[in-house]
Amino acid sequence: MSELVLTARKKSGLAREINAVITIMARDITLFFKSPMTIIMSLTMPIVMMGMLGGSLSQNMAGGLGFDYKQFMLIGMLVNMLFMTTTMGMSSLVEDHTTDFTQEMMISPVSRYGIIIGKILGSSFGAIIGMFGTVIVGLCMGISISISQLLLIIALSPLMCLSAGSLATIIIGVIKSNKTANIAVSLITMPQMFLSGAIIPIGNSHGILYVISRMMPMTYCLDLVRSVVYAGTPQYNSVVLFNPVIDLIVIIALTVVCLVIGTFFFARSEKNR
Amino acid sequence: MNMIEVNSLVKQYDRAKEPAVKGIDFSVNEGEFFAFLGPNGAGKTTTISILTTTLSKTKGEVKIAGFDVETQAKNVRENVGIIFQQPSLDPQLSAEENIRFHACLYGMCSYRPTFKMMPATYRKRVMDLAEIVGIQDSLFKPIKKLSGGMQRKLEIIRSLIHTPSVLFLDEPTQGLDAVSRRSLWEYIDTVRKQYGTTVFLTTHYIDEAEKVDKVCIINHGKIAISGSPQEMKNNLLKQQLVLDSDDRDGLITELSDMGLFHKTENHIIVPYQEIAAQDVIAKLKTRLSVLSIEEPTLEDAYIEYLKIGGEVA
Repeated sequence: MSELVLTARKKSGLAREINAVITIMARDITLFFKSPMTIIMSLTMPIVMMGMLGGSLSQNMAGGLGFDYKQFMLIGMLVNMLFMTTTMGMSSLVEDHTTDFTQEMMISPVSRYGIIIGKILGSSFGAIIGMFGTVIVGLCMGISISISQLLLIIALSPLMCLSAGSLATIIIGVIKSNKTANIAVSLITMPQMFLSGAIIPIGNSHGILYVISRMMPMTYCLDLVRSVVYAGTPQYNSVVLFNPVIDLIVIIALTVVCLVIGTFFFARSEKNR
Repeated sequence: MNMIEVNSLVKQYDRAKEPAVKGIDFSVNEGEFFAFLGPNGAGKTTTISILTTTLSKTKGEVKIAGFDVETQAKNVRENVGIIFQQPSLDPQLSAEENIRFHACLYGMCSYRPTFKMMPATYRKRVMDLAEIVGIQDSLFKPIKKLSGGMQRKLEIIRSLIHTPSVLFLDEPTQGLDAVSRRSLWEYIDTVRKQYGTTVFLTTHYIDEAEKVDKVCIINHGKIAISGSPQEMKNNLLKQQLVLDSDDRDGLITELSDMGLFHKTENHIIVPYQEIAAQDVIAKLKTRLSVLSIEEPTLEDAYIEYLKIGGEVA
C-alpha cells in the first residue's frame, strides 16, 4: 500500500471535499491561463459592455432619473459581468461532457455538490477578472468608486458568482451540445441584463415583467450591491428596491434551490448518458 | 472475500421495451482476473456502468469491496479505478496535470498549482508509474500531443494512482496497435502481481481474455455461461487430433473400427474429449504422415456459443 494512500485516509470527509472543490476550481483557472483567447475575451468584454453599451446608454438615457446614471450603470455592469462570465464559464460543463471528462469527475469519491461548486468557483475566476476590467473602463469614463465600496463589492462577488452558477447549472447541466449551450447562455444572461435592473431602472416595472424581474436572482444581487454602495447617500431610496437583509435571504434561498435542482439534473443527465 | 458481488441485477431503461439487464448474478473474488464478454448490445456496458456507480440500477443488489453501489457509492468510488471505453482525459491539460487532478480528487494529497510543489510521495509515485509504462518523457506534454497508445497508458497510471482494490477495464485496448496492446497487458499483469488488484475486463478481443481466471458471457441481458476459460472450452468444444497418412483409406477404416467420430477436410479430423490423445495414437497401426493436436481457443468457444444461439445456461 502506497504512502500516499495512507496519508489520504488521515483527511476528514469535509477536508477531502474542500480539497476536491479547490482541485476542480484550480483546473478551470489553469485552463483559463492556457487559453489566450479566453483571456483576451475576458479583457475585451468590459470594453464592449461598459465602454460601448454602457457609454451609449449613459449619453442617451441619463436625463431625469434623479440619480447619477453612470454610477448606477457601473454597479449594474459589474454584477452583470459576474453573472454573464460565470454563466459562460459553466458552459464548459458541456465541453467536459463531450470529451467524457465529466465521467472522470463523476466516478471520483466527491459529492455532486462539490463538483458543481468547484465548477462555479472555477468559472468565477474569469468573471472576477472581467469585473476588474469593468472597474478600469468605468474609471476611464470618469465614474468614481471608492476603495471601500470596491472592497465590499469584491467581498460580495463570490456569492454573486455562486448564485449565477447555480442558476446556470439548471439549464446547462442537462445540455449535451456546445451549440445549444451557447443559445442557453444568451437565454440566461440577456433577460437578466435587461429585466433585473442592471442597466435599466426597474422601479416602474409592472405586469409580467414585474413578476419575471422578481424571480431573477440577479435582481436581488444588484440590489444588495447597490444598497452597499449607496448606503447613507440621498439617492439610496431612488436606487435601492429592497431591504438588504431581504436581498441576502432571497439570494441565499434562490442559490440553494437552484444548486439543489441544478445538481440533481446534472447528476441525473450524467447517469443517463 | 468477494470483491464484486452481483445478485439479481435488473436494469430497465426509460421507454425501453425490455430490460437491458435481466436479473444477473455473478461474483468475483479478491485478486481475480475476471472477463465479462458478450456481443454488442448484450448488456456489458450497462452492467459495468452500474458497478462503477455511473448508472442507477432498477432492482437487485450490487456490492463492490463490500460496499453497496447505491447506499455507499462514495466508498465504492474510493475502491475502484476505471478505464473507460472512450478516453476521458482533459485534452487541454498536460499528462501530469491530468494525473494530479485525479490524485487530488481522490484525496491523496492537497492540490498544489505545480508538479514541483506537490508532495514528494506524489512526485515519486508518478515518476515510478510513468517509468513502468514508458511515458516519463511525455509526462509534461499536452494530451493533444500524445499518441492513442500513450493516452491509454496515461489513463492506466491515472486509474491506479490511488491504488484501487478493483480495476475496471472497459475495452481498454480499443484503437491500440499490437505493440501498445502487448505492453499494456504486461503492465496490468505487473500491477496485479504487485498489488493483488482485482481486475474486471470487458473486451471485444477475446484472445485478451485467455489468461483470465474466470469468464462470464452475457447475452440478451442474461448470463449465458461462466467458468474458467478452460472449462468453457471443454464445455463448448472438443479438442481435436489432426491426422493423415499415405494410406488414408486404411487410417479411416482403423478409426471407424475404434468407434471414433472423424471428418475429412484437408486432413482427417478426430474430435476427442473423454479419451486421451495419446491412447488414440497408441492404438493406430497405420503409418501417419500428419499428426497434430489442435487446442480450441476461447475465441473458438465464444463463437461456438454464439453459433448455437446462446442457449447454454
